[in-house]
Amino acid sequence: MDIRELKKLENKRKMNKGYMWALFCAILWGIWYIPGTIIWAVPPFDAMWINIADPTGAGTYENGTAATLVVAVLISAFNALTVILALLVWNGVLGKFGEMTRTLKEFHPCSKWFFLASIFGGPMAILGSFIAIGFIGAGFAAVAALLYPVIGSILARQWYGEQISKRAWMGILVIIVGGLTIFVGGAIAEISAGSINYIGYVGGLMAALGWGIEGAIAGKGLDIAEPDVGITLRFLGENLIWWIILVPAVALAGYPVFEYAIAAFNPLSIMVLGFAGITFGYCYVSWYKSFPLIGVGRGQGIGNLYGLCAVIFMYLFLAQVPAWTVLVGGALCVLGSFVMISEEASEESLR
Amino acid sequence: MAGLRPIKFRLLELFSDEKEHWNNEIVVQVQKEYNMNNNFGRDSINFDILELVSGGMLKSVESKVDEEGVYKKGFLLHKYVITDFGKVRASDACLEYV
Repeated sequence: MDIRELKKLENKRKMNKGYMWALFCAILWGIWYIPGTIIWAVPPFDAMWINIADPTGAGTYENGTAATLVVAVLISAFNALTVILALLVWNGVLGKFGEMTRTLKEFHPCSKWFFLASIFGGPMAILGSFIAIGFIGAGFAAVAALLYPVIGSILARQWYGEQISKRAWMGILVIIVGGLTIFVGGAIAEISAGSINYIGYVGGLMAALGWGIEGAIAGKGLDIAEPDVGITLRFLGENLIWWIILVPAVALAGYPVFEYAIAAFNPLSIMVLGFAGITFGYCYVSWYKSFPLIGVGRGQGIGNLYGLCAVIFMYLFLAQVPAWTVLVGGALCVLGSFVMISEEASEESLR
Repeated sequence: MAGLRPIKFRLLELFSDEKEHWNNEIVVQVQKEYNMNNNFGRDSINFDILELVSGGMLKSVESKVDEEGVYKKGFLLHKYVITDFGKVRASDACLEYV
């Protein structure tokens, strides 16, 4: 084999590795919707919702909306906490604490991008996702964010000239059409049932925008930082936002969040939150690891298969039966991914 | 100072002399500086180089098969040089780029 062919093979291997990471991300992200759904029914979050929604006990649930938002904030904060624990274990095993300290110190050129990414990824995307789960349901939340690769791809192209081939665009578009088929199918069923929940849809939109913007910003930081370290700094930022700013702000607004936060240290809650932290933490590691190898556009496009994975896992574990629109949309998602993966990798650079 | 900055910063710094460098030579140098003298450290540093290439900051100007096993027998060795974009990112990263 001559050098040119060997180079091509090496490049192909690199791209395949990137696609593999993105696929891991999709699977783990899909699994995450299981603990993400169950946690609402686990003590103290179930009692928390009822006590805030219906403080007089009259059964009128007049504060239902506020209750869902406050519970979503506390769940998101705990999700961030268990994710950072999972990431610290990951970095410890890889022996990357030294690199983490070195990267953290480089605030201006480097870690500021991860802290910026944490604003869009945390209080915007993840909270939005939990709001969508709380108001509408996990199936909806999972597919609502399916538009995020369009936002991520466009921003990565505008901000730092990431090249996205025609074929990759085609794949991304097919995945999105698949996502929309799932999404619109659900929405039509809801409209016909007459129970549209607007705040839930706002949550879904927050998730799509937040994850798209986060990916593009993170791509910039990942130019000069290791992905394992970058993602950990991003979650360090998110934990600071939740536990130093937002949770205390909710407490100051008069909601007993700290009381419930302490009550969350019970075995069942720790187990479900731990499961959420592991799946979400490692899904995020895989997401960030795929970006430098295949680009933000492709990484997000393949990562988008999480929508399909979530529907499958929710069917298997929570017996939520998918509608036919979900099956058609899911098939389109898979097709779109194959369009992207089958692309010839001729260039060594993504820019 | 060597060893005090993130590894990708150091890699860009080493390529900032605008000369061509073989990946195996750079990997060995960084392994020593960061005390990462095992196969995992070697592969991890080489992967950082690959990510810099993928990000368009370095480009390969020459390749050869590692016949003698100076790095990994049978694998490709690459001679890389910094790109214009690499120079911009290097100066963003506060390197003393001349």
